Amino acid sequence: MSSPEDIARLRHIKESERLADAWALWTHTHEQLKDTSALLVDPDPAMRALAADEITALAASLNTIATETFPSLLVPPSPTAALSALMELKSGVGGSEASLFLADMLRMYQRLAANTHWRAAVVASNPAEGGGTKDAVVEVVGAGAYDALRWESGVHRVQRVPATEASGRTHTSTVAIVVLPLPDESAAPDASLFSMSDIKLEVMRSRGAGGQHVNKTESAVRLTHLPTGITVSMQDERSQHQNRRRAFQVLTSRLMDRKLTAEMEARRDSRRSLVKGADRSEKIRTYNYAQDRVTDHRIGLTMKNLTSVMEGDGIQHFINAVERHHAEGVMLDMLEE
Amino acid sequence: MFRRLATALGASQAARELRWMRAAAAVAGATDLDAMVARRVRGEPLQYILGTQPFGPLNLLARPPVLIPRPETEHWVTKLADSLAPSVHNPVSLLDLGTGSGCIPLLLCHLWPPGTVRAHAVDISPHALRLAQDNAALCGISSRLCDPKTPHNTFSVSTANLLAHDFAETASRIHSSYDIITSNPPYIPWKEYLELSRSVINFEDPKALFGGPSGLEFYHAIARFVSSKNILKPDALVALEVGHDQASTVESIMLATGKFQRTEIWLDPWGKRRTVIARTRADIL
Repeated sequence: MSSPEDIARLRHIKESERLADAWALWTHTHEQLKDTSALLVDPDPAMRALAADEITALAASLNTIATETFPSLLVPPSPTAALSALMELKSGVGGSEASLFLADMLRMYQRLAANTHWRAAVVASNPAEGGGTKDAVVEVVGAGAYDALRWESGVHRVQRVPATEASGRTHTSTVAIVVLPLPDESAAPDASLFSMSDIKLEVMRSRGAGGQHVNKTESAVRLTHLPTGITVSMQDERSQHQNRRRAFQVLTSRLMDRKLTAEMEARRDSRRSLVKGADRSEKIRTYNYAQDRVTDHRIGLTMKNLTSVMEGDGIQHFINAVERHHAEGVMLDMLEE
Repeated sequence: MFRRLATALGASQAARELRWMRAAAAVAGATDLDAMVARRVRGEPLQYILGTQPFGPLNLLARPPVLIPRPETEHWVTKLADSLAPSVHNPVSLLDLGTGSGCIPLLLCHLWPPGTVRAHAVDISPHALRLAQDNAALCGISSRLCDPKTPHNTFSVSTANLLAHDFAETASRIHSSYDIITSNPPYIPWKEYLELSRSVINFEDPKALFGGPSGLEFYHAIARFVSSKNILKPDALVALEVGHDQASTVESIMLATGKFQRTEIWLDPWGKRRTVIARTRADIL
């Protein structure tokens, strides 16, 4: 029978296993580097050349271990690592051009999800008159989706000549994105988030006599969480039951987001955190078509080749960079404690 | 395409329905979008065009002329499922009168635990019974107790005329008596029938809607039925959906049988008094 001490010891051993492996790799690579260095003075020029190449590779390895592997072992695992994400996109300044850009961004995130093996589904959307999408809600299901996509919360600004613009003038428009955690639907509803007595459920349209008299699909619902005043309207599904389920899902996401944000602010790392409370009105990224570049204002990263971001894998680079910045901030805070 | 729909339905409803139709047309082998929109513009119910109607967690088939399940029905049947807790040791026998698509008993069979309900449904229309059976198959609810080791709920159908003088005898032959009787019987009176919208009057079965001149004919028949000897178990419950202004009258009709100690009326999500619940004993759940 294992005693509590044994279990704690086992856990400790398991955790330090990763560190031990990394250290073993470091020592081994270091040894190889030392041995290969001896060959730099070999009489055979071919040998010297081989050794030089080898040393470059080994040095790069050591660098990676020092700058990435070791530090990553120090960062505590994310408490939200398992959560999926709910993305809400809304057209901001710019009218129909903003809606067109929103549609482009939707495609970009759907491609990202496909490449990362998450399941992305648009659960609600309103078309804009110019042909774009006025607003949309996307469910991105898969572990790590929330952790990756949370950095997309904020205002995205696009500068380009609209397709509809005859004079060729550049316009600036915006899309506001809010990314919320999406709890696992099969898991029991989190009783700590809300209770049914706090909820007001309303239907949105009159049905006249209703019942057998009417066969129109009239399934719109509105949910109000009385303590916070948060309201969720849902009408994209074909039945009351389905719309209600979706509305509760969105409400749970919003409440969980409030809880996580509050917790983050209470912790010390909120000083360096990029998710500054509820300030989702911050401009986080600019997409400049004329200059073919995308800039993330939080970390000062600019990438050329806008197409690679909108049509390719470029967005992943931004997400990785911002995530790294966040992780570094967390580590620095830890070291200061 | 969108413009034609928007003229018929209004812009936002048209946008939603077009999206649903597009999704259905994208499924391999489905009829094309143009044909669907044309049918919708002529007033055919969307549910017949798409062939389905979500009902609670189920996705039921919808076929003309069988009555399309309504959201009011979805609401009270869900509430009924939440208010009763039948047990495997004492499964309840349930009879649904005028079952149409089978939505009421099938949703209950789905929501209640396996092995707790034996449901039987009757209807006068062979179209309805065929649809109800197809829906049962779709929901994985079989008509017989196949495997005694794995508990499961059962759903069976048969033809019957609720208004027939010998209906009680017919019902007794299926089950000796019943714990639960449910019904959404035709309740539209003649005057209101004439004012129904095109998509109801031209496409759904009049026999499923028309409740006689007063609209109450079927409730009188149901009252006679439950008053018949041995139809109701000692601890029985009757749940009846009613038209927008019929709740008090139907409640009185049921109380007049002398069989019920307690009645209540449930509101639907639109604030209409929609369901009459009558219990033989006041103290049962």
